[in-house]
Amino acid sequence: MAVSIRDNLSPIQTSPQPVVRNDVGHSSFTLTIDGKTVQAYENQTLLSVAVDNGITDIPNMCNDEKLEPTATCRMCLVHIEGVKQPLPSCTTPALPGMVVTTKSDELFHIRRTNLEMLLSDHNAYCQPPCQADCPTHIDIPGYLELIAKGSMKEAARLVKEVLPFPYILGLTCPAPCQKACRRGLVEEEIAICRMHGHAAETCLLDPPHPFVKDPPTGKKVAIIGAGPAGLTCAYYLALKGHYCKVFDQQPQPGGQLRYGIPEYRLQKDMMDREIDHVWSLGVDAQYNVRLGRDFTIDDLFAQGFDAIYLGIGAWTSNKLNMEGEDAEGFVNAISYLSEKVEGKPVPVKEGDEVVVYGGGFTAYDCTRTSLRLGAKVHTLYYRTRSDITATFEEVEDGINEGTDLQVQTMIQKILVEDGKVKGVQCVKTKPGEPDARGRRRPVPVQGSEFVINCNAVIPAVGQAVQQDVLEDKSGVKFTKHGTIQTNPHNFMTDRVGVFAGGDAQMGAKTIIECVGQGKLGARSIHAYLSGEDMKEVARRLELEERHPDLFDIVPYKPVEPKVKMPMLPYEDRKRNFRIIEMGYMQEQAEREAARCLQCACPAAGQCDLQKYSIEHGLADNRFHDGEPTDYHDYDMDLSHSFILRDPNKCINCTQCVRVCHDVIGPDCYGMFGKGFDTIVSTPFNVSLHDTDCVSCGACVQVCPTGSLMMAERYLKRYAFALDRCIFCGDCVEVCPHGALGETPNFELSFFNRFGPDVTLDKGDLATAPDYLVRQRLPRSKKNLPVMSPLVRPLPPRGIRE
Amino acid sequence: MPDFDASYRVLRRRGEPDLRSLDSYRRTGGYSALEKAIREQTPEQVIQQVIDAKLRGRGGAGRPTGEKMRIVSRQDDDFRYVICNAYDADPRSWAARSMMQRNPHLVIEGVVLAAYAVGAREAYIFTRSFFKEGIDAIQQALADALEANLVGRDILGTDFSCTINVLGVDQGFMGGEETVQIAVIKGRRGMPEQRPPYPAQYGLWDKPTLVDCIETLANVPLIIRDGVPAFTGVGTATTSGTKVLTVYDYVPDSEPKLVEVPFGATLREILRHAGYSRPDSDLQAIIVGGAEGGALPPSLLDTPFDYDSLEEAGAIVGSGILELLPANTCMVGWARERSGYLSKESCGKCVPCRIGMKRVTGILEGIISDLGVKSDLDMLDEFADYIPAGSLCAFGVLAPNAYKTARRYWPEHFRMHIEELQCPTGTCLPVRAHRFITKHVLP
Repeated sequence: MAVSIRDNLSPIQTSPQPVVRNDVGHSSFTLTIDGKTVQAYENQTLLSVAVDNGITDIPNMCNDEKLEPTATCRMCLVHIEGVKQPLPSCTTPALPGMVVTTKSDELFHIRRTNLEMLLSDHNAYCQPPCQADCPTHIDIPGYLELIAKGSMKEAARLVKEVLPFPYILGLTCPAPCQKACRRGLVEEEIAICRMHGHAAETCLLDPPHPFVKDPPTGKKVAIIGAGPAGLTCAYYLALKGHYCKVFDQQPQPGGQLRYGIPEYRLQKDMMDREIDHVWSLGVDAQYNVRLGRDFTIDDLFAQGFDAIYLGIGAWTSNKLNMEGEDAEGFVNAISYLSEKVEGKPVPVKEGDEVVVYGGGFTAYDCTRTSLRLGAKVHTLYYRTRSDITATFEEVEDGINEGTDLQVQTMIQKILVEDGKVKGVQCVKTKPGEPDARGRRRPVPVQGSEFVINCNAVIPAVGQAVQQDVLEDKSGVKFTKHGTIQTNPHNFMTDRVGVFAGGDAQMGAKTIIECVGQGKLGARSIHAYLSGEDMKEVARRLELEERHPDLFDIVPYKPVEPKVKMPMLPYEDRKRNFRIIEMGYMQEQAEREAARCLQCACPAAGQCDLQKYSIEHGLADNRFHDGEPTDYHDYDMDLSHSFILRDPNKCINCTQCVRVCHDVIGPDCYGMFGKGFDTIVSTPFNVSLHDTDCVSCGACVQVCPTGSLMMAERYLKRYAFALDRCIFCGDCVEVCPHGALGETPNFELSFFNRFGPDVTLDKGDLATAPDYLVRQRLPRSKKNLPVMSPLVRPLPPRGIRE
Repeated sequence: MPDFDASYRVLRRRGEPDLRSLDSYRRTGGYSALEKAIREQTPEQVIQQVIDAKLRGRGGAGRPTGEKMRIVSRQDDDFRYVICNAYDADPRSWAARSMMQRNPHLVIEGVVLAAYAVGAREAYIFTRSFFKEGIDAIQQALADALEANLVGRDILGTDFSCTINVLGVDQGFMGGEETVQIAVIKGRRGMPEQRPPYPAQYGLWDKPTLVDCIETLANVPLIIRDGVPAFTGVGTATTSGTKVLTVYDYVPDSEPKLVEVPFGATLREILRHAGYSRPDSDLQAIIVGGAEGGALPPSLLDTPFDYDSLEEAGAIVGSGILELLPANTCMVGWARERSGYLSKESCGKCVPCRIGMKRVTGILEGIISDLGVKSDLDMLDEFADYIPAGSLCAFGVLAPNAYKTARRYWPEHFRMHIEELQCPTGTCLPVRAHRFITKHVLP
């Protein structure tokens, strides 16, 4: 390693060059930037020369054209021929004949390391990964914050904006959001999913409506299938003012929610309460009717429906394709579960020995239902344990409830005797050679065959859509995977006006994905009914669903243990179908929700640090898991009415310091502390409210990150002492939002947030003795009374009335 | 072995006559250089003599002082400033305070001469507020010199005027940086500015400004008074003259020795002259250059003390401090302690220095807590290149020196800590419970 020492900043030597003056007398000369000969004027910096000449990709985070450059961020470093050390282009004056390089591996490395350094002490996040990973994109930080505050009904309303069934999903969702939770990088993820279940449970009988229902549009939509996708679609279409009618082949609504999910995971009486929210919006339903048997798509159009949504689900179990599938004791998984729900006799009874084959949710539902019926259960799966698609909790629970889980075991043959299943012959497997796509299909291990004796075999190896319900002449086509073919973004099938979603369109997937599709289907149908161009709708929906460029860094956070969901003890689960998740108490829910890191930044998308970090390919924190002294955890300064300060996001670019001192004038910011603890703060670190701040918002404008943000306005009414106003107009000039304006007649505009605009003129002032009563203004903004005696509401009137 | 006794020029030793009063200073030839220059020489002639004398900046960088004066004097501006850097950034250096306290008139003469050479009418002596005796002495000397018309308006009856302001400031380590001093005089937070443009072109109040170390300026009167050949008589071919050094023994809390030595004397000779004749086996290292300096092993004690030879060895002239480390010093622990100190002293302006030094310290803390892995060294090497390349001022450029020299001369210490999980000298105590890990998160 070269040990270079000493300050090797040496003066820049350039070749002398004749100076040319332009027509206004500015002397100009030429230099070379990235091989391009450009013209520059005396006293210009390299950065501005580059920008003037169209080289705009020199990154910089601390420079603004109206400010004196200081070169704190070290991002705009460039090489200058003849100078050993890279120099920042924002401060280096352009000289005639300079040869400048703005891109090189060394510069890229320095810039990227700068960003890594900044991010290692950037105690903040950009976007919540949970929200991106949730198929319905619930505002998770939002509702968790509401739950932590105790506003359960408002939290449920927020969830219902995108998910009509927070209670049902709270119990049944596999929670893809929780896998992405950043809290898991600190200690354990948050029970995000169970939280909205809790919030919704508190107001099941008094449901909040996500939006005000639109007036009726007169359009009619038929929805086939009362499952999660269909009901979600109906819910949002009804809110949009369309008339919806749901058709279902079963006697009761819910689809797989009711007929696929056992009682111990979801109590059907509670489920009905939440599904009632759909009917309360005026949605009609007709049961025991089946598409293809009792009616066709053309019948529905003939009845006057304007659009049709196919949420027919995937109700056929895949076959094993081996002998003995018609023997007694060979059980269809889906009809087994639905018969159990309906209270019909099922082919499994106490003392039976049952083999369940598969590793998905259905396999586990069958396993645990059979266990509750008193059977001895073997769960077989032909891949490894980490390949099981059911959740980890479900696998653990299955074992603890008594199943005999055998992974890497494949059924070879069903042993039948007298038309009855007697057992299965199995073989152990091992992962085979990776195929072209890198997947390792399991292959049998020779000589490891063994037999399990049993009375029943329940294969749960996937479900398929029933294709016979749709005739060819309906115009709806199927894909090669046996699902309904639609446009991937607007979900319209090949027949105009017919949309599809849910399992029928995707193949058997999770409930939450079906709900997400139902929601998008409703948006698409609404757009169709409003007469929009469906290509444009597809483009819009695709953009909305695009996975955002997430960028996150895990700073130091204190450990806060997870509040575990109280579960029914294993010994109490035998021979009954009581719900196993007993639910949180309110305090437990509030404590758990308060663990949310609130990892959403309002500046995401406009943040320079985020932009450059993504550009430089950064996705990890090289300095995770240090001591608390390695990171800063500052308090936010929320004292100011208009400007929020979060020093945790500050990168010390000092743009706010310079703009406040040099451009605006009050000098509210400065650097505070030294060494690693340096931070931009106010003089003597007082709160911004106590400085000379004029609320101009210039600091917010220049802030390259989300450290300074405009506050949401909470003031309902502003106190204004009319008797003191001298009509100087200063308030009009500094108002960053243009809320105050001058009128040609020298009147005073009087703004009232919840009332109409009021205008007074000088005459009012003179003739109104009440206004001349002198009264002290309230000292503190925080304790401002709603109305001061001087600011009384006036009846609205025009300027010349 | 050089003649050390003949090399005392700017430093007054104990037992030598007191030069604090104007009369006693003038009796030894004081202010004759100023009179000679102002009455007989043009500013350009003064600068030429400084250039011929090969006077290099004593503040550590070693830039030719005469060249700098020439740049300032040739700037097309009607106002120029001189700042005398009497700050002693490293608080363990005693050079500036001793010079101000014991030889204040020499300093004043040097400042006025430099002001004459560059055409400045205002000069600042920028020093530390807690050098109480030094400030008192130089204020008294200034009052006397003003009385005698050696400073102030129409000096010695000519039309050359120069006022001198003494500023006592405490800005920590960074106060020694020239652009920090300019910022402080302007009333701003003490943070360096990017160079170029250099203060010589664009300095205090945007005017050309000569910023020189107190020791450099104190040598200027000697050049003018005794002539260039007398000045270049000592020193090396590239650097003539002497250097004031503060030498610390390895006994804790011992008083330092202040010596003035000719350039080119070897470190071993300097130590012997200062009275520290330790056998090599008692030493682990000698640190040359103060807080930002590098550590050299005893085998390099015969390195001559000069800018270029020290740079080659990995150390710097820096703040002119030599410090001995006893044989039981763990150099990883030493590097970590130095990095920790510097990461606290950084001004916090630029990213590589503010956060980079903190992270280097953190990784070194992990290593001395026996949590290090081999890849930590790669990371440290990466940052040891990154911090100098990206930093704004010389502080950041030099800050990783401690790590660099420790790694260069004592790789064994790092290996012991990382591979054998023990301190080579058994002196390091763990300071961390876990090391930094890289956590991959979402793509």
